[in-house]
Amino acid sequence: MKKRAIILGVLVTIGYIAVAARLSQIMLVEHDLFTAKAKGQQIKKEAVPVKRGMILDRAGRELAVNLDTESVFANPSEIPSPERVADSLSKGIKKNPDVILAKLSADKKFNWIERKLDTEDTNRIKEIVKDSKLEGVGFFPEMKRFYPRGKLASHVIGYVDIDNNGLEGIEMSYHKHLTTRGENLKVVRDARGNVLSEGQRKEIKGNNIVLTVDEVLQHIMERNIDEVVSKYSAAAAVGIMMDPKTGEILAMTSRPTYDPNNPADVKAGQRRNRGITDCYEPGSTFKVIVGTAALEEKVVNPNSKFDCSAGSIEVGGGRIKDAHKHGVLTFKEVIQKSSNVGTIQIALKLGRQRVYDYIKRFGFGEKSGIDLVGEVSGAVKKPARWSGMTIGAISIGQEVAVTPLQVLRAYAAIANGGYLVKPHLVSQVVSPEGEQIYKAAIKAERILSDENVETFRNILKTVTEEGGTATTAAVDGNLVAGKTGTAQLIDPRTKRYSKDRFISSFVGFVPADKPKLAMIVVVYEPRGAIYGGVVAGPVFKKIAGESLSHLSVLRDDAKEKRLVISN
Amino acid sequence: MIKSYDKWLLVIVLLLIVIGLTAVYSATSVTSPDVIEKFKKKEIDVTQFGFLKKQLFTLSLGFVMMLIAFKVPLDYLKKIAIPLLIFSMICLLLVFTPLGATVNGARRWIRIWPSSFQPSELVKLSMVIFMSWYMSIKFYKQNNFKTFIIPIAIMALFQVVFLKQPDFGAVMSLALLTVSLLFLSGVKLRYLSLFAVLAVPVVIKLIKEPYRWKRVVAFLDPWSDAKGSGFQLVQSFIALGSGGLRGVGLGEGRQKLSYLPEIHTDFIFSLIGEELGFIGAVFVVALFLVLFLRGLAIARRTEDRFSQYLAYGISIMIGVQAVINFFVVTGMVPTKGLPLPFISYGGSSLIINMIAVGLLLNVSASGSSSQQFDDSQPKPAPVARVPLHRGEMRRHKGFSYRHINQGSSR
Repeated sequence: MKKRAIILGVLVTIGYIAVAARLSQIMLVEHDLFTAKAKGQQIKKEAVPVKRGMILDRAGRELAVNLDTESVFANPSEIPSPERVADSLSKGIKKNPDVILAKLSADKKFNWIERKLDTEDTNRIKEIVKDSKLEGVGFFPEMKRFYPRGKLASHVIGYVDIDNNGLEGIEMSYHKHLTTRGENLKVVRDARGNVLSEGQRKEIKGNNIVLTVDEVLQHIMERNIDEVVSKYSAAAAVGIMMDPKTGEILAMTSRPTYDPNNPADVKAGQRRNRGITDCYEPGSTFKVIVGTAALEEKVVNPNSKFDCSAGSIEVGGGRIKDAHKHGVLTFKEVIQKSSNVGTIQIALKLGRQRVYDYIKRFGFGEKSGIDLVGEVSGAVKKPARWSGMTIGAISIGQEVAVTPLQVLRAYAAIANGGYLVKPHLVSQVVSPEGEQIYKAAIKAERILSDENVETFRNILKTVTEEGGTATTAAVDGNLVAGKTGTAQLIDPRTKRYSKDRFISSFVGFVPADKPKLAMIVVVYEPRGAIYGGVVAGPVFKKIAGESLSHLSVLRDDAKEKRLVISN
Repeated sequence: MIKSYDKWLLVIVLLLIVIGLTAVYSATSVTSPDVIEKFKKKEIDVTQFGFLKKQLFTLSLGFVMMLIAFKVPLDYLKKIAIPLLIFSMICLLLVFTPLGATVNGARRWIRIWPSSFQPSELVKLSMVIFMSWYMSIKFYKQNNFKTFIIPIAIMALFQVVFLKQPDFGAVMSLALLTVSLLFLSGVKLRYLSLFAVLAVPVVIKLIKEPYRWKRVVAFLDPWSDAKGSGFQLVQSFIALGSGGLRGVGLGEGRQKLSYLPEIHTDFIFSLIGEELGFIGAVFVVALFLVLFLRGLAIARRTEDRFSQYLAYGISIMIGVQAVINFFVVTGMVPTKGLPLPFISYGGSSLIINMIAVGLLLNVSASGSSSQQFDDSQPKPAPVARVPLHRGEMRRHKGFSYRHINQGSSR
């Protein structure tokens, strides 16, 4: 028996030694591995709830703010009879009782029932919960994003999802500024997700974004764009207004539009900021490229003559016509009257490579770099891939895909004395304490010489004068420099230019001599009238006129009168 | 009269109890608010001191029982060996009556106001007492197959009930206990081998039970299903592993925050490893080993057969249960519910183990060593007592030896 007792004692002792050995393996050898695993599950980086910053217009008017709301949630595991709870809740929540029941019956410990209810609804539901003694239903305060101006500037501002993540516009491109300042908080959590170490949990506010947009100008633009869209039953429209010297976007809109307070209810097309996401063939507005290039390259002077009496011109085996027959036109008149035949003759003088170079120099074929997401770069074919006809087509704004913003930027270069500016929407980012965190810098690159720009600006002024294509765009008392554009859309079925679908545009700046505003108006598929001078020109005029009086820009003629008086 | 007992044994046990209380408090003092709320409805206090208070209550009860066990005449145990065994069986069967309580799908508890009791713990001690008596009676012959098969049969009877509950942990520890004692009694190894061979198909059949099979698989590769069946083991590894050499500090452990299920009961050793590190964990392991070896030494010193078997049985009961618990926690055998004596939260295990230690101390006091320290009342030399006792047994058939024995030990 003693022997057997020793055997047993030794066996068990070996067992104990094995335990010690195993412990040294787990606890000493693999210590680092398990420490990492422990930290991985116990310590969670938690995004600190941040009160999203506001989005303000250039004058500090609130375009996006926050509302205090409450959300109703349920812990289905604590609800013995979901039917009863669903029945009671459906009296307070405007939702199908079956939908509520499904949420209450889910195999979860946390399920939202309805989020971001206003105070009135919340109080009513709280009353019901209290009266019916409902278990497993709770309330959670949440911030709801609210856009007090509704649809105004919706394409610029964008919107957020239910968790306040920016999904479009400034809300998306400046999401980081609007939400987090500093790092995520590291907190210790138990396996049920309860946070144990509170850390520093004071409310953190995001930065405020100050836009370059002027709410009043935006409103003026949207009202007038709405008018033209309904007048011509247009499929879509774009309006962008920019300070030509700085690249600050003063107003930007797109039709169809939507209310960012209810982004879920709209089609994707309504949310599209067509000014930057959609390409079109710019048509005649593109003639300024060839025009300025010809002056810059000294292949023409303002009075060079071009014979346009044939009414059409043959390029690379194709024939391009003028809308109206002209006689012999000077360079000035070619631009003023928007003669295709004349422009193509100029382009041929320049040659492929120079035409292409100037198109690129004006920033086409690449993103403007505006501080929004979703901008496209457009498409400009390389000369090597041009057909014989391309030089003709491209000089009058066909066979090239551009965005309205790119066209506007090109005209801004003419307005500001030859600089290609970078358009931007945010002028500054300001911390809740008022400290400036970011200020937009003006980025400009000289692409044209002063004198040629001056010359060309004077030519553009004539467009809105008697004999031009856009007399309708002339603003009373102020001279407008601009250009019409009417481009045919390609019919997706026939792959040819459609006979009844056009894009009508006007782009220009005002006042012509000391431009304050550069603006483009693009109307897609207007019905009843097609020409840029008829459809887009008058809108341009109205927006420009109202905008200038808002900005208190003196009328050109008024200035003269005042001079007289002062004398 | 203060009997001269093995003081070191008592010191070790007290140390374990103190460590246990500290660990239980650490494991249960932080509870998430939603859990508190949930248990409030069941009128269970899971707030900061809830578990500690209960454990302290059982502990005070345990000390009383330990003292009684220390004082009780060992011969009296022989008298109650069979009734106690029957009583434990009744208790065990009560689990299936309305008195029984089901926790996590297993009926292992009977409700006794204000708490509940786990009869499987009582069964182990009863079995030790019974076996000690049975193997020390005169007609017990270690070479006789019949005397081998009776304890096995009794054990099997209990095992059937354990499996019904189900309580695989109890099955395993009872089997080890019984077989170890039989081995010590000197039965032919042939019988034991035969038993082992016969047990194999039974064990296989049991393991094939889906929930147990899952545990076995989880044991073999806990990482393959770290979020499911291997979860507990993986969490135990993380607790131990993150403890390192010195531990994260007493009370600083995080695995108790609902990560490691049953951390206050079966997996309390993981918490000790996490908070006190390798040093603390090995210290606890060493305490149990010393306790076990000390128990064996007491048994070896003891001349009385019954007392000797009792000391062996108790040492094995505690020492083996502890080592199995360590094996489980460190992933060396499949997971099953088996508390760590003196340390895990739980009244039944604590009280029974304290009674067992009381008995062990009792044996240590009445063994050969008593002579050296206890000079107040000289006793008959144990060396002389045992042959007399054996002689009496041979002469008298039946149960008459009791009287003789009683007389001699007083």
